Amino acid sequence: MQKQIDPRVMAELREILDPAGVVSRPGELNVYECDGWTIEKSVPQLLLRPRSTAEVSALLRVLHRHNLPFVPRGAGTGLSGGCLPLAPVMICTSRMNRILAIDARNRRIEVESGVVNLNVSAAVKGAGLFYAPDPSSQAACTIGGNIAENSGGPHTLKYGVTTNHVLGVEIVLPDGEVVELGGSIEEPCGYDLVGAVVGAEGTMGIVTRATLRLLREPETHRTLLAIFDQVEAATRAVSAIVASGIIPGAIEMIDHLIIRAVVDAFHVELPLAAGAVLIIELDGLGAGIDEQAGRVTEMVRASGASEVRLARDEAERALLWKARKRAFGAVGRLAPNYATHDGVVPRTRLPEILQRITRISQSHQLSIGNVFHAGDGNIHPIVLYDERDPDQVRRAIAAGHDILKACVELGGSLSGEHGIGVEKINQMPLVFTPEDLAAMVELRHVFDPDERSNPGKVIPQPGACVEVAAPRRQAAL
Amino acid sequence: MGSAPRANQAGGSASPGAIRDVVDYELLFDCVHCGLCLEACPTYTLNRAEMDSPRGRIYLMKALAQGALELDADVVRHLDLCLECRGCETACPSGVRYGQLIEKARVYVERNWRRSLRERIRNRLIGEIFPYPRRLDWLLMPMRLVDALGLRGTLERLAPAALRNWIELLPAARADAPRFPRAAAVHEDDGPGKAVAVHEGCVAQILTPSENANSARALEAAGYRVVRLERTVCCGALDIHNGNRKRALAFARQNVRELSRCGAEAIVSAASGCSAVIASYGELLREDPVWATAAREVSSRVTDLSSLMIAGRTPFTREFVAKVTYHDSCHLAHGLGIREAPRALLRSLPGVTLVELAEADLCCGSAGSYNLTEPEMARALAARKADNVVATGVDYVILSNPGCELQIAAELRRRGSKIRVMHLADFLALAAGGGEARGAR
Ligand SMILES: Cc1cc2nc3c(=O)[nH]c(=O)nc-3n(C[C@H](O)[C@H](O)[C@H](O)COP(=O)(O)OP(=O)(O)OC[C@H]3O[C@@H](n4cnc5c(N)ncnc54)[C@H](O)[C@@H]3O)c2cc1C
Ligand code: SF4
Ligand code: SF4
Repeated sequence: MQKQIDPRVMAELREILDPAGVVSRPGELNVYECDGWTIEKSVPQLLLRPRSTAEVSALLRVLHRHNLPFVPRGAGTGLSGGCLPLAPVMICTSRMNRILAIDARNRRIEVESGVVNLNVSAAVKGAGLFYAPDPSSQAACTIGGNIAENSGGPHTLKYGVTTNHVLGVEIVLPDGEVVELGGSIEEPCGYDLVGAVVGAEGTMGIVTRATLRLLREPETHRTLLAIFDQVEAATRAVSAIVASGIIPGAIEMIDHLIIRAVVDAFHVELPLAAGAVLIIELDGLGAGIDEQAGRVTEMVRASGASEVRLARDEAERALLWKARKRAFGAVGRLAPNYATHDGVVPRTRLPEILQRITRISQSHQLSIGNVFHAGDGNIHPIVLYDERDPDQVRRAIAAGHDILKACVELGGSLSGEHGIGVEKINQMPLVFTPEDLAAMVELRHVFDPDERSNPGKVIPQPGACVEVAAPRRQAAL
Repeated sequence: MGSAPRANQAGGSASPGAIRDVVDYELLFDCVHCGLCLEACPTYTLNRAEMDSPRGRIYLMKALAQGALELDADVVRHLDLCLECRGCETACPSGVRYGQLIEKARVYVERNWRRSLRERIRNRLIGEIFPYPRRLDWLLMPMRLVDALGLRGTLERLAPAALRNWIELLPAARADAPRFPRAAAVHEDDGPGKAVAVHEGCVAQILTPSENANSARALEAAGYRVVRLERTVCCGALDIHNGNRKRALAFARQNVRELSRCGAEAIVSAASGCSAVIASYGELLREDPVWATAAREVSSRVTDLSSLMIAGRTPFTREFVAKVTYHDSCHLAHGLGIREAPRALLRSLPGVTLVELAEADLCCGSAGSYNLTEPEMARALAARKADNVVATGVDYVILSNPGCELQIAAELRRRGSKIRVMHLADFLALAAGGGEARGAR
């Protein structure tokens, strides 16, 4: 049973915030019961919306005194149920959205954790800079959420994931203490504590500020669209490009099911009959880029592409990226609900994992689409289902489980970038021994000894393999 | 790991799930809860709360439909706060038809929620005056006198807060509005020759009459044949917005009859809010035994002034030097999907430089009668818009809807800004040499 919040504690918390900062009525709390992972739902008892580090700290001190757990939330675009309220109190950073300082000369920016990813790049565009991690949800997700999930994006292939771009964080520990880790210096000495916090999925406290690295915008781009009859040929092309030593900014794959949704949503000209398309983007200096594009085109053709197109101008390039980045959402045109999975396999095993996924789709009788970061072997199978049919929900969960198992069997891992959350918590033992898990818990205890920050996530309770959660918290049908 | 109680005891009298009879239940499931619409929503950008976001509102509707929530003051509050700007539709990759959802949800709210006396009186006033040009004209007589005597400032200072919002929005008498010069007209056979109807709307006829007139003249100058309309009425936008479906349907039928009878091949209106509503008549009258087909046809003919001007002959020969920016009126950009044409037209005018406006397609808070029913949010959005406008350093901000014009002009006037706010039609008149306006204030 979840702990009920004492009215006196409520009153203490209310004192800290302005009236709009406290949400406590059921009609309003209802909308916070899930994030982008809609299979599981749970309504928080109280939502707090601080506006500053000081407020976060004051709130956490009160919660500490009364031993109340809490769940951090950014924009709620997470896909693994990371901010599913398994604690009575939710703390949302959406109002902490100020850009604090831009240092263009040293290519740094300091932001509050509720700043939306895209707004970071927008703020420095004038200076010819950008923030590299570009999750497809970047128009909505927050830097705090990115840090918690160590998010990546299409350009991860060349530029790396969030952890490669966070120089320092300010974090409020669960007892209210404000700690600064790292800083604006490139290679600080001592342990890399920033690295511990990035990817912790909110289980170490609430990140309130971050200093991020900025990159100079590439001088130019060449964006190619390669069309294949067969998915296998597309995966062969990916291997060929990477093996050649050319490092494109991104290599993204979209399979035929998703092509249908995307064509419908964005009116991009893609052949509906194609088995798969690759979006390959080369970026860098103007000199030599056309030659590279030529080589990539040859390799892709040799791998069996039926057609290769070069985006003629910025508008065409933007449309391709729009289609790719918003592909997940466009899936809503195919089915009422979807669960986006996130696994990693060695790039060379891509053809095998895709075959396995096809079989899984058949055995569970659910459509599964694929749109993913092919360049780094990070797959995103999207399982389509309808939440109004409990049997489909069960099958969707089982299919997800099978997919991840297959990834692990092929030498891969559970999560490329969406995190473990509650979704994959039961699969953690597939890749980690009990000793591994115990070591993780110990690390967490350094920051959060009482396990009050985002309880029930990432690390499975020893012995208590949580029953597949699904319909337990389903909304009434 | 139990959860908090899911339903509220207090509030509405509706039976749980009754909204399912009103809202297109299936449409709710187009939303996959991805959140990509959050930052496109004006109320979310300011309040930063999920229940004031499109995703949150859809979730509330769904919870109502599934009986997980009952209609209560909170739900009504968050649904009321929606501007129906449809910015979320542009952002949504999943094709959620939010406009349709909220319109019907509003019908449900009006049927099942007892509003406070104050709200009822206010809505009644709006509903009984605005759609009827003559009533509004009468009402404005005293204001004209006030303006003639130069007493507006005094009145604004003395009026009680509730009234001040209303007064500030009213434009001053507009004897100085520019007028598209006849001389510039091209002969009919030289241009596209297509027949165009200018739907005059209701409020616009009285508050901003120059815009329809200049639209018609500009179109004639570009070679179109402008047909006269006899008996069009209010498009029904206010009623749709306020959940009064019955009268909206009646207005729609009357307009469809007139617009199909006049023989126009294209339909425009100086109020893009009206254009978007006319473009939705096909959907609105889908089940109408008599008018369904005609309504679909009328809807398919809706376009806007800029699209036609670009396709026609250009009457702009004289240079008019000005730095301008363009504000996307919601119903033109999000409703009709017209964004490029007005910009292209402005860029094509000799001497005119177009500067892009930050957050150009974020609602200014006017939204029909929203600035009267939700003054606080409306004011905050106007302020945000004005900040962005001022940052461009232009002489003119151009837009395509009288509501936006009044809203943004009122905010700039409060700040003592010299930037002029002008409807595209009036600006075209000015650029064509139609007299020096002292701003469309
Ligand atoms: C359409 C779509 C496309 C996506 N594409 C990608 C993609 O390409 N790559 C990718 O990596 N992800 C992707 N995601 C997943 C998701 O957007 C990312 O995980 C994102 O980083 C979550 O950010 P958020 O602000 O929404 O966080 P939330 O969903 O609110 O929270 C996510 C986790 O972070 C924790 N958290 C949030 N803020 C803080 C904070 N300040 N301090 C501590 N913990 C915090 C929460 O407790 C939770 O565990 C996609 C999601 C969608 C819906
Ligand atoms: S973008 Fe569309 S699908 Fe996604 S949450 Fe918003 S309305 Fe729903
Ligand atoms: S119509 Fe406008 S105000 Fe309403 S939810 Fe959509 S974006 Fe927000």
